[in-house]
Amino acid sequence: MNNSTCNILFCGIGGQGVLKASEICGWAAIFDGFHVKKSEVHGMAQRGGSVESHLRFGKKVFSPLITRGQVDYLVSFHQDEHDRMKNLLRHNGVDLIGYLDKAQAQIEDQRQLNTFLVGVLSALLPVKEQSWIKAIEKVFPEKILAQNKEVFLKGRRMIKV
Amino acid sequence: MSTNRVTDKVLLSGNEALAHGAWEVGVKVACAYPGTPSTEIIETLAEFPEVDVQWSVNEKVAFEVALGAAVGGVRSLFACKHVGLNVAMDPLMTAAYTGVGAGFVVVVCDDPGMHSSQNEQDTRWVSIYAKLPLLEPSGPAEACQMVKEAFKISEKFDTPVLLRMTTRISHTKEDVTIGQRSVPVQKPFEINARKYVMVPGHAYQRHILLEKRLEKLKTYSENSRFNRLEIADKKIGFITSSIVYNYLKEQFPDASYLKLGFTYPFCDDKIKKFAKSVKKVYVVEELDPFLEEHVKTLGIRFFAKDPSFRIGELRPELIPDVVSGKVKIESKSDARKPRMCSNCPHWFTFATLKKLDTIVAGDIGCYTLAALPPTCALHSCVCMGAGVTFNEGLRKAIPNGKIIGVIGDSTFVHSGITGLINAVYNKAKGVIFILDNSTTAMTGGQHHPATGFTIRNEPTKKLILEDLCRSCGADYVDVVDPKDREKFEEIVKQRIDADALSVIIARHPCQLIKK
Repeated sequence: MNNSTCNILFCGIGGQGVLKASEICGWAAIFDGFHVKKSEVHGMAQRGGSVESHLRFGKKVFSPLITRGQVDYLVSFHQDEHDRMKNLLRHNGVDLIGYLDKAQAQIEDQRQLNTFLVGVLSALLPVKEQSWIKAIEKVFPEKILAQNKEVFLKGRRMIKV
Repeated sequence: MSTNRVTDKVLLSGNEALAHGAWEVGVKVACAYPGTPSTEIIETLAEFPEVDVQWSVNEKVAFEVALGAAVGGVRSLFACKHVGLNVAMDPLMTAAYTGVGAGFVVVVCDDPGMHSSQNEQDTRWVSIYAKLPLLEPSGPAEACQMVKEAFKISEKFDTPVLLRMTTRISHTKEDVTIGQRSVPVQKPFEINARKYVMVPGHAYQRHILLEKRLEKLKTYSENSRFNRLEIADKKIGFITSSIVYNYLKEQFPDASYLKLGFTYPFCDDKIKKFAKSVKKVYVVEELDPFLEEHVKTLGIRFFAKDPSFRIGELRPELIPDVVSGKVKIESKSDARKPRMCSNCPHWFTFATLKKLDTIVAGDIGCYTLAALPPTCALHSCVCMGAGVTFNEGLRKAIPNGKIIGVIGDSTFVHSGITGLINAVYNKAKGVIFILDNSTTAMTGGQHHPATGFTIRNEPTKKLILEDLCRSCGADYVDVVDPKDREKFEEIVKQRIDADALSVIIARHPCQLIKK
């Protein structure tokens, strides 16, 4: 386990906003001065297939992919995908699956699932709140910005650190 | 990406970073046909109004337009996926002879692991075959740097330059420092038949120059900063390139490295020097033994992956087995497979074709997914355009079979039209379906000539497919909505039974088209 790198695995199925979630996270880490690499899935796989996005940040990151068994945080958008991916977690890695139901209960629009789960994750990561907010402003268009900020904070407050 | 464009850290994919680098060094013309994992290169360049960007009809066309622009005196770029380069091989092979005027960079994105492709060819071999320099970045930030260098090399040596990405580099995002644009002075177009008219006598002379150019490029490669020696623990030394460098660095941080970035022509002296300086040499690369085969010719003893690892993507968890020479253990992926969207118009077409029990020659697009369960109603897929022509061949072999060909609207324009003309000319019969969802759907919904809009959403003259098919000489051309199932089935039955060559345009727009 590389102690200086934070490894987050986002998983779900095509169309759920998995890539957007890792995008927010990537920008937030950049704003805090980290080196960031994240993997994406495009093309055929996006047609309703499994979508995973690896996000890694630290002082210096080489691989864009997390090695099996080294995932620090698993953020799942779908129970099946979670079950498939959970053994990629490291020993004592943090599994956010418990928040999937809570997220779905709290949001009005399924398209906000990604923002909510990123909110939950944000409370656990060594990245400043101000950088998260900046990241959200970077990623969402003006029209849906206010509601996404709200959903993000709702998720963030699910966890008391 | 819209704000803070200048000298700032931004999160960019390999494709976006490459496009940005090209923009910074003044690329003026950029052409491509969409193809995963290369599509976003041209889409990113289209965000810059000062670049003349186009979706071309196919890769051959794109290559030729970009080459013409370079010969005309402005920096230009052509981008494609690996199988797209096959379509452009004809101009590529001879462009190596003519050379360029201003810089010309050929970006090719391989797809190890076939995330979204029909084969996993290793395009690095093209550099040897076509005698062109080859650059291989290992990540987005490096792709941005390398494309800038590629334009310089192109102009210094008067050659197209191959820049080879892979899916894992194209679709990785990294924080990249971007800069401002600076456009070099346009070069005057040089009328020079001996250089640009490749008749045998001229081409012979150009071939002599091409071989000399390769020698000079070899010297340049020896000194390139992209072929980097990282000497640390001398017990183990890795010769590697591309994404694999990153996987190795992570798992063997203390080892020594020769990280190749200007991969071809090979920097033999550097390779030999490195091999001498370490105790054990490993050559580790994804897909084919491109580096291995060459390092072998230098008389260097080294360890390499088992041939079973030439198949598929090398992922970090495979590296221990790769390095220790173990045989690959194939495991079945439990990932959810892609499928047609619910309510997809293609689904309706294939429901009818399945009901009528047809043998379907297929093509490349979302509709290829009709081959998979539960639909299972598409029976071949080889390359762009073959839905029309493979169908013609099948019918020759099985004269009494209920055989039809299907092809998408974008794919038909790409390379189906010639097949239709061929069928008419050679008196073939049967039914060709154009599955017209009015977009290039699989790659994310790009425009093409039959949508009537350019890459920048500007209206342009629209290619009318039904008129085109009629003028090619099809006996019947019907335009039907596949969601109107009764009518659709009735026409399909009629045309299948007719002793004629028919085109049925199954037209219903993709529901994912951005409004």
